[in-house]
Amino acid sequence: MSFITAFIWSYFMWLILTAGSKGLLWNSQELIAGLIFSAIVGYATRNIIGERASRFLNPVKWILFIAYAPVLFWGMIKANLDVAYRVITGKIRPGIVKVPVNLENDAQYTILSNSITLTPGTLTIEASPEEKVLYVHWINIPKGLEWPESSEPVSGPFEKWARRLGK
Amino acid sequence: MSDMGVIVKTNARALIPLIGVFGSYIILHGHLTPGGGFQGGATIVGTALLFLIAFGVDEAKKRINKDLYSALEGIGGLVFLGAAMLGLSVAFFYNILWHKGPLFNGRPGTLLSAGFLPIMNLGVGLKVFTGLVSAVFALALFRRWKE
Repeated sequence: MSFITAFIWSYFMWLILTAGSKGLLWNSQELIAGLIFSAIVGYATRNIIGERASRFLNPVKWILFIAYAPVLFWGMIKANLDVAYRVITGKIRPGIVKVPVNLENDAQYTILSNSITLTPGTLTIEASPEEKVLYVHWINIPKGLEWPESSEPVSGPFEKWARRLGK
Repeated sequence: MSDMGVIVKTNARALIPLIGVFGSYIILHGHLTPGGGFQGGATIVGTALLFLIAFGVDEAKKRINKDLYSALEGIGGLVFLGAAMLGLSVAFFYNILWHKGPLFNGRPGTLLSAGFLPIMNLGVGLKVFTGLVSAVFALALFRRWKE
């Protein structure tokens, strides 16, 4: 099963790379070469991609990922403007906070950590699934939030999305 | 060497197949687009380096078989030599696949064109990949920092 996941993931990448070889589509030579080389890559990486990666082949997940893109993009725009404001005024209160999160698997931790790092002003330093916390460097800790109870003040709605996307 | 945290590992799981297929793309389109055997092979080595750094030497020791890599490096060199010998009836390195060959003499710009060049690119790519992986892995296994 993990061979099929790695194969499909590789073949998808191959199709993106070689699109346009026949009009806007692919010619048969590229398609067959892609099958062969994706099979080799998929076979070589079948033990690396992880046994449970096949859950990302579910089309419902793809729709969720597409739905997540504008949420993440809007969060990035807001956070960029906020950081521009902090650069001009110099009003910062930096520090590392320990954020408790309620996530189960590695993919959820990765999605949440990457989202937090992509939105400027916050930067994930360490994810610790054993303690169920993230250590986040925050450019401006609001007064009284040095020990947040949940990830809501740090990341907004991202934890909910990460839990759903990585399930 | 200890391994990395959970974020690096999970990203490596997703990225290693992508880098691998991109390297194969560079190798296979060496006669059509910039790149070729060495560049693509060195790109695929990125997967092995990522694996080695993200998952640690102990994990890599279980997965990397030095006899297999040594044999594949030799096979890559032999494929190059074999492609060069194909046109020996005319001259060494004579591109007979392009002039009369049954395969690889398609319209220029398609994948199966340019005679023995795709075969040589594959051979060089295999050789560069396995050779660099063996070299880096041997360095990573070097016994200790100080005597």
